[in-house]
Amino acid sequence: MKRRASPRTAEREVPYRELRAVGACLGLALATHVPRLPTWLTVVVAACIAMRLFLAARGYAAPNRPVRLGIAAASITILFLQLRTFNGLSAGTALLCLVAGLKFLETHARRDLSALALIIYFLCLSALLRSESFWLLMYLLGVIWLTGATLLRLTPSAPRHGWPLDLRYAGRISAQALPVAVVLWLFFPRFDAPLWQLPSERGSAQSGLSDSMSPGDIVELALSDEIAFRVRFAGAAPPAEERYWRGPVLHDTDGRAWRSIGPAPESGKILTHTGPAYAYTLSLEPHAFNWLFALDWPDQWNVPGAHLNSDDTLVSGTPVSRPIDLTARSHTHVLTTDTLSSTARRRDTRLPSDRNPRTTAFSAELRRSHPDDLGYVQAVLDLFRREEFFYTLLPPPLGDDSVDEFLFDTKRGFCGHYASAFATLMRAAGIPARVVTGYHGGTYNPYAGYWIVRQSNAHAWDEIWIAGRGWLRVDPTAAIAPARVEPGLDGTPAIARGALGFRAHVPWITDLRLRLDALGQIWRQRVLRFNQLSQFSLIEQLGIEEPDAQKIVLVMAAGLVLAFAWLMWQLRREQRAEPKDRAVIAYGRLCRKLAAVGLPRRPHEGAEDYAARVGRARPDLAAAAAALCESYSQLRYARATAQHEQNLEEFIARTRSFHPRRASRVADG
Amino acid sequence: MSEPFTRRLRRASVRRLRAWAARRHGVDSLPATINRRRIYILPTRFGLALAALLAAMLIAALNYNSNLALAFAFFMVSLALVAMHHCHRNLSGLSVDVNLEADAFAGADAVFHFMLRNGSSLERGGLEVTLEDEKPSRAAASAPPQSDQRLDLAVPVARRGVHRWDHVEIRTIHPFGWFRAWTYVHASLTVFAAPGPDGSRPLPAATGSGHALAGEMLGEEEFAGLRAYSPGIALKHMAWKALARGGEAAVRVYTDFGAQPEWLEWSALEGVETEARLSQLCRWVLTCESRSARPYGLRLPGVEVAPGRGPTHRIRCLRALALHARPGGP
Repeated sequence: MKRRASPRTAEREVPYRELRAVGACLGLALATHVPRLPTWLTVVVAACIAMRLFLAARGYAAPNRPVRLGIAAASITILFLQLRTFNGLSAGTALLCLVAGLKFLETHARRDLSALALIIYFLCLSALLRSESFWLLMYLLGVIWLTGATLLRLTPSAPRHGWPLDLRYAGRISAQALPVAVVLWLFFPRFDAPLWQLPSERGSAQSGLSDSMSPGDIVELALSDEIAFRVRFAGAAPPAEERYWRGPVLHDTDGRAWRSIGPAPESGKILTHTGPAYAYTLSLEPHAFNWLFALDWPDQWNVPGAHLNSDDTLVSGTPVSRPIDLTARSHTHVLTTDTLSSTARRRDTRLPSDRNPRTTAFSAELRRSHPDDLGYVQAVLDLFRREEFFYTLLPPPLGDDSVDEFLFDTKRGFCGHYASAFATLMRAAGIPARVVTGYHGGTYNPYAGYWIVRQSNAHAWDEIWIAGRGWLRVDPTAAIAPARVEPGLDGTPAIARGALGFRAHVPWITDLRLRLDALGQIWRQRVLRFNQLSQFSLIEQLGIEEPDAQKIVLVMAAGLVLAFAWLMWQLRREQRAEPKDRAVIAYGRLCRKLAAVGLPRRPHEGAEDYAARVGRARPDLAAAAAALCESYSQLRYARATAQHEQNLEEFIARTRSFHPRRASRVADG
Repeated sequence: MSEPFTRRLRRASVRRLRAWAARRHGVDSLPATINRRRIYILPTRFGLALAALLAAMLIAALNYNSNLALAFAFFMVSLALVAMHHCHRNLSGLSVDVNLEADAFAGADAVFHFMLRNGSSLERGGLEVTLEDEKPSRAAASAPPQSDQRLDLAVPVARRGVHRWDHVEIRTIHPFGWFRAWTYVHASLTVFAAPGPDGSRPLPAATGSGHALAGEMLGEEEFAGLRAYSPGIALKHMAWKALARGGEAAVRVYTDFGAQPEWLEWSALEGVETEARLSQLCRWVLTCESRSARPYGLRLPGVEVAPGRGPTHRIRCLRALALHARPGGP
């Protein structure tokens, strides 16, 4: 199965050291993809690399063709069976990683290393296609730097230096590449729309709210520190009890889980917005759905194609697969004169008849003493407040009649449980109710003046229909855990912290996180969201009026000329001979000063001859010139002594302070 | 099918380029300094593959509208462009010198000693000198900053005779192997390939009028070199200067040209096939040169090398053998 490298191939064979270096670069590039790869694929790729290195370290050649083909065919087949496609970013990247491993396994000639270098480059790029991290970019530039140093060692009869010098040279080339790269990046024309439609990446590992909610769902989010969006208010921020960021609205229940009823149609309602208005810009991280999480209740927004659906949720036309900025205005209250259609009323009062019998009975009893809708609502909230209901992120598991068990047995849960129980109690009493999910609260970042809303701020609340007033928000969780409505500094409920005990509240860490996030926001807005408009304003700042695409191209051309001129200058400067002896520079100064008084040194003249001639022409300068030229000869041609440095400094100082006057003035004086 | 065609095409275009370059630059006087105007540069296969990859990267980054990926792709583009300039600069300003004539035995290697003079403060890495032949000969070295780097190019010569090249190519793919910069130094390089020494016939001199070796040892006619001192030799022959320089005790040796020269005769090998005859003569030349201090001469049909001794004489004899019945001698 394995053979020793024959002497014939040995000369073109890759030495182990170089193979190891390329393997290391490949490993570093692959590492960025590991979290998204199927585990078995990571293992196969790592095994391929390890196996090849193991063989090479012992002087064996690559495994022979049938073995390699076998591994390749098997792993590619499994991958295809798992993914069902090789199209799209995730699948394509997985395939690329696999190919990288397989290619490394078969590497035996230098040419293979070239192919591996190309694979490394593309791995780096594909990692960046779905990341926005500054650090990842820096890391990958580091990988490129290392790969460059490795390539330096691969050219035939490259100078045999150690890594430090190779890294230095590769680093210098990389640094010289920066200006051209920056000019290209700044001014290369951008397209608003992609060149062709990308396969959507729905369902890949993106966290966030979904269009259904069952007990336990929100806990996963509540434990996630991932950022859902950041929001900056144009003026003052609304108080906590108004900071409800609206997401999907859930209507259908099976007594346990709640679901939305598929994509809601566009709203045709006539709404009257009242109450204070808040203008804000919301930088939304990508997620799998269309919701834009506007603050309740928006009346203006700037995202093209966005609209309010019949659930009063602001949605975009397509899934939010890329980060977007939403600039909008919302009012705290909304009134409607519309009535609830009978279909909608039926939908929002429906409960599964065979579930939660105790709840139904309890509701009927309560309703008898509270025939008024709002009175009934208040009674239910009082119940939550009065009874021993606890807010916890670790509630006891619930069965099929989950509302019954929650209300009468466990009495422990979080927002999802309370919203679900409340809506069930409302519907049982014939009051139309729906569950709204979204985010609530957020952390204020004082360093940048915006709010950070994390997945841990995910929340569920209810809305009930009151004739003549429309949908009213009721947050039953607020009745139990006030801390949930008035969150602590880091935006996590105090109870959650206590219950889990892991989110230690260290002020300086919180502070550091906020500062880093503020920097991150600059990065996002200045770099990640850089687009054609940014280009326009950039060249306007350069003093070019009425910018258009053509002018940008012209500016790019001019920038490239400058960048290349700089590069040429750099290359020339590097190539110039060693810096001259400082004594020579000082002597040059002396000669220039003498030339200025009409006594230039002739090209063939040595220092002594020159001093003698100066002395003959200008007896007043004779002593000084002779002494200086003598020092110069000593410094240049005599054996170096311990005082050399001192003498040199002295000589330089004396040439500086040597000021010969013009002959005519001497004659005058 | 296509491989030979592309190879033919490549060879043809390289030939035309070279001819054009030769017309442009003429014959160089050595040492030749490589200026920017005579450096040609093209991407290697690796570089072409990289170019294709960069195009794909750009399209991907633009299509995903990812500013980070775009920044990375542009960085790679820029890196390639800078690497191209580094590759070009690697040759620019290099000064090349070489011995124009080399001697060899057929079947062995001729060696050209290149001197790559790097006057800049930069290291020039991976310089490769190529002499195109049926099988190109290559040698590579790096020239450290401000140094003269010697580079020996071994050229295998199969046949006896004169081998000529009108140019030598110097190329480099340093730094990353993405580009190949090359230049032609147009100079007439000649190898005189003497016949490989062969044959076991005794020297004709052994049968001629013998001359005592000792007689020549301390002859008085012409200085021939130094020999190690051995006790009993008169002090007047001592090489005092050599001793004073810190060398070993030695005696000056003089060739007694009064002694009869040894003639290596073509006609002495009547009936032997030409090449074998030349090989035998070559062997004799080498033997005479190494073994005795006696002058020797060579007689070939139409050519006579007057008797003598020493490296120059040896080469004169070997070249006579190389050129026998081969036109195109110097």
